[in-house]
Amino acid sequence: MWVKPWKTAEGFLIGGGLFVVGLALQLTMGPIDWSLFASPVNWIILGLLLAFLALMFLLRKKVYAFEWMMHGHAAVASLSWALGITLVMGLLPQTREGGVTWLSQMLTFWPFVMIWTWMMVISGLATINHLLRFKVKEIPFLLNHLGVFVAIVAATLGSADVQKLQMTVYYDSPEWRALSDDEVVVEPGIAIELHQFTVDYYEDMTPKRFASDISVYTEDGKNLRGTVEVNKPLKVNGWKIYQYGYDNARGSKSPYSVFMLVKDPWLPAVYTGIFLMLAGALCLMLFMAPKPIKKEEKL
Amino acid sequence: MSWDLFIWFALGAVVCWAMGAFFAWKQKNPQVYFFTFLGLAIFFAFIFGMWISLERPPLRTMGETRLWYSFFLPLAGIIVYSRWRYKWILSFSTVLSLVFICVNLFKPGIHSKALMPALQSPWFAPHVIVYMFSYALLGAATLMAAYILFFKKKKDVDSEMNITDNLVYVGLTFLTFGMLFGALWAKEAWGHYWAWDPKETWAAITWLCYLLYLHFRKIQPKEWRRACWILLLAFVCLQICWWGINYLPSAQGLSIHTYNVR
Repeated sequence: MWVKPWKTAEGFLIGGGLFVVGLALQLTMGPIDWSLFASPVNWIILGLLLAFLALMFLLRKKVYAFEWMMHGHAAVASLSWALGITLVMGLLPQTREGGVTWLSQMLTFWPFVMIWTWMMVISGLATINHLLRFKVKEIPFLLNHLGVFVAIVAATLGSADVQKLQMTVYYDSPEWRALSDDEVVVEPGIAIELHQFTVDYYEDMTPKRFASDISVYTEDGKNLRGTVEVNKPLKVNGWKIYQYGYDNARGSKSPYSVFMLVKDPWLPAVYTGIFLMLAGALCLMLFMAPKPIKKEEKL
Repeated sequence: MSWDLFIWFALGAVVCWAMGAFFAWKQKNPQVYFFTFLGLAIFFAFIFGMWISLERPPLRTMGETRLWYSFFLPLAGIIVYSRWRYKWILSFSTVLSLVFICVNLFKPGIHSKALMPALQSPWFAPHVIVYMFSYALLGAATLMAAYILFFKKKKDVDSEMNITDNLVYVGLTFLTFGMLFGALWAKEAWGHYWAWDPKETWAAITWLCYLLYLHFRKIQPKEWRRACWILLLAFVCLQICWWGINYLPSAQGLSIHTYNVR
């Protein structure tokens, strides 16, 4: 143990160390409050993370742990830890309300976040390492490791900037106020006017389609008319408008339609990561799979 | 075109696919390609006919999506065959395709079943089809792992592990597609691409398991026993993600993926 080159066992201990540090943070600071990460804090953390990665890469010859973190043993150790702690999350009911145990609010549990961050650091270091020794045949590796890094880091840091509002619009009275998740009235800068809400039914009277014919007015003077349906949101000024609800008891005769308004400024970064991952996944099959053994295939 | 004619198209296609699978065992490649593509053409003719007579792509009902599984399985099979020349892959894809065809033949009532609005999306078919295909490949990888661990007498496992690795690489490609298509769809349907819904958590767990397998195989190629155990664990997670979740206390009343139960 701790004899160079380090293997996976050292990695398991490092993961255990991170877990303990996470527990200490949980005890002293309490659960993570993600709302504190709202812009500009998330941009600062992103800058620090990238600077930290660059520094680790530059110091790899001086600090052996950094060198080790660029390679497969570290990946296996961090994947095992992430798998284990996410399994606990999958097995225990998760809740958003307070006053419950740490493990039932895994997303605010420091050790969980530390382990996943460690895994992303390893993926990021592997990316830098391969990027600086660029060869065409490294592209599949880069797509996968960069893709997962971009998608997960952007999704995590961007989560505090996601605005999710609920707007209830009655016929013939344009609405510009909306309710946030914590029931605060806010003005998102767009107004919605409801022209027609419809429910179509199948023959057995199960609902087939919910649709709202609406006009949207924006602060900067845009005025557009469109239909919002389940699975077909409307996009205006960075907001996506979703069909969210109606007066269930009155169906098609509902006097109002409820919309969900979502703005996620980090979405383009997350989608960039997702598309890199999709390209990487295709490469996995086409270029990364081991060559078949030709001689005799018994099966 | 109507469902009454389905049995004849299906019969023609399955006979062709079975011929293709037969010639794959005999390693007669021109015949393999000829029969498999003929079967695909016959089957697609039915889908295309339905498309015209329904005046919409047949993607809405469960029966209609099963049509696509039945079509894509042999297609994926022939793609895998063309690259790796696995003799068994076409037999495997033909049998799986036949299973979905039989479900459509024996449960025709489902064809008119209403589809709730949340499922009415162009993402529905690709999301489910690539997941089903990946489950099939990863299931085959699990069988290989079980065979290597428990049944194989001679412990020279290189060629078996090579096949297992290839199945996992292709399976993981499709598993990743399924998961990310699901994320892109969730953004359109629910407003967010990832919400740690129990189904999503288990999708992440399953995905991590297969990633662990790949990385472990890279650094410890000789430790095939442990690698096989990782695959068995991964498949248990996959089953929990697919249907076991409906019985899991942690998911009761919380998952928005509940239409899977019906």
